[in-house]
Amino acid sequence: MLTILALASVVLLGIVPQQSEAIVIYTGWERHALVGSDIRLSCSFFSWRWTSDDVTFSWSYRADGARDAISIFHYTGGAPYLDNKGPFRDRLEFVGNPGRRDGSILLKNLDYGDNGTFTCDAKNPPDIVGRASSVRLLVFEKVPIQAGVITGSIIGAVLGLLLLIVVIYYLMRFLVARRVFNLSVSKHGKKGKGKEGSQQRQASPLVVDPSKLKAAASEKKKQESRKDKK
Amino acid sequence: MLVLLAGIFLLHLTSIILLLAATIDNAWWMTKTVSTDVWARWILANVTWSSNDLPGNYPHEYLQAVQASSILACIFSSLGLFVFVGQLFTLSKGQRFTFSGIFQLLACLCIMIAASIYTDIFHKNESDGWYGHSFILAWISFAFTFISSIIYFVLRKKTAN
Repeated sequence: MLTILALASVVLLGIVPQQSEAIVIYTGWERHALVGSDIRLSCSFFSWRWTSDDVTFSWSYRADGARDAISIFHYTGGAPYLDNKGPFRDRLEFVGNPGRRDGSILLKNLDYGDNGTFTCDAKNPPDIVGRASSVRLLVFEKVPIQAGVITGSIIGAVLGLLLLIVVIYYLMRFLVARRVFNLSVSKHGKKGKGKEGSQQRQASPLVVDPSKLKAAASEKKKQESRKDKK
Repeated sequence: MLVLLAGIFLLHLTSIILLLAATIDNAWWMTKTVSTDVWARWILANVTWSSNDLPGNYPHEYLQAVQASSILACIFSSLGLFVFVGQLFTLSKGQRFTFSGIFQLLACLCIMIAASIYTDIFHKNESDGWYGHSFILAWISFAFTFISSIIYFVLRKKTAN
């Protein structure tokens, strides 16, 4: 039964790619960086096919406000080709691992002129149909706190404090009740020991007493509440 | 007794709805072409409204404080409603609805903080424009939650369930 199931799943997985052979490329959505720092732009892809030897990665850059994109990086035939004429010459480094479907690049010594959109396009022959993915780079003098961080932390802190107070309140009530219960048990125990010489059969009831005491206490409470209702 | 209970429940529900309207709707400050608030800014261009980000010169710590406390007010008020219903069935005769009162009081405090910060920090020097309905609803819900919490602190359970 299991073998049939396994065979069926393998056959299905083999059939499906024939219909949906699109390659899916993943980059970030937006990256923030400080002036003068380095940043790693990651790009990876998902494909139903095995990673072929002819896999290619291609990065292009479109500056903020510019109309066209220029190509800054290309990996093909097992070798990376970096930008040696454009705005990123000597500032680009290939840090990806094409065998593991990683085509990330490292941008060094960022400047305000590097604000823009970086697009990664990967192809894994014969799986070549896909949509390129873009990541937006924003260069700051001082990295601002992201919108919502302060909001979320205030809400979380207040709710957490509230939860803590409620837990402590119920813990205190539980501990106080246990202390009162222990005191009453010790009182009951002293009374029982006085009569031990005459009635030894009542030694075992002393052990069972705690549960009986609790039952008696709850019974008393129920009776009181019934009286209140009336 | 049932009528009183229904009235109190309705008051609490109304305050929740007003708080939600004040928090969610982007209308704390309005001009003829702009309706802005704690989340986004609506700008009227010709005939259509478009949603824009809030300007960068907003003091963002205060903005996020207003956002956080108005959300907290909504949360506390909604939790308070459930606590009230729960206390309705678990309280013994003669006891007060302190827990529900505490939640409503916290909600009142939070929305007061939000509205006060907004009044004092934002749009102080802008003369063309007026406070929008979200702002007004925030202050009205402050009054409602305050009244509601006072009622909860004073009310005693008359009949046991």
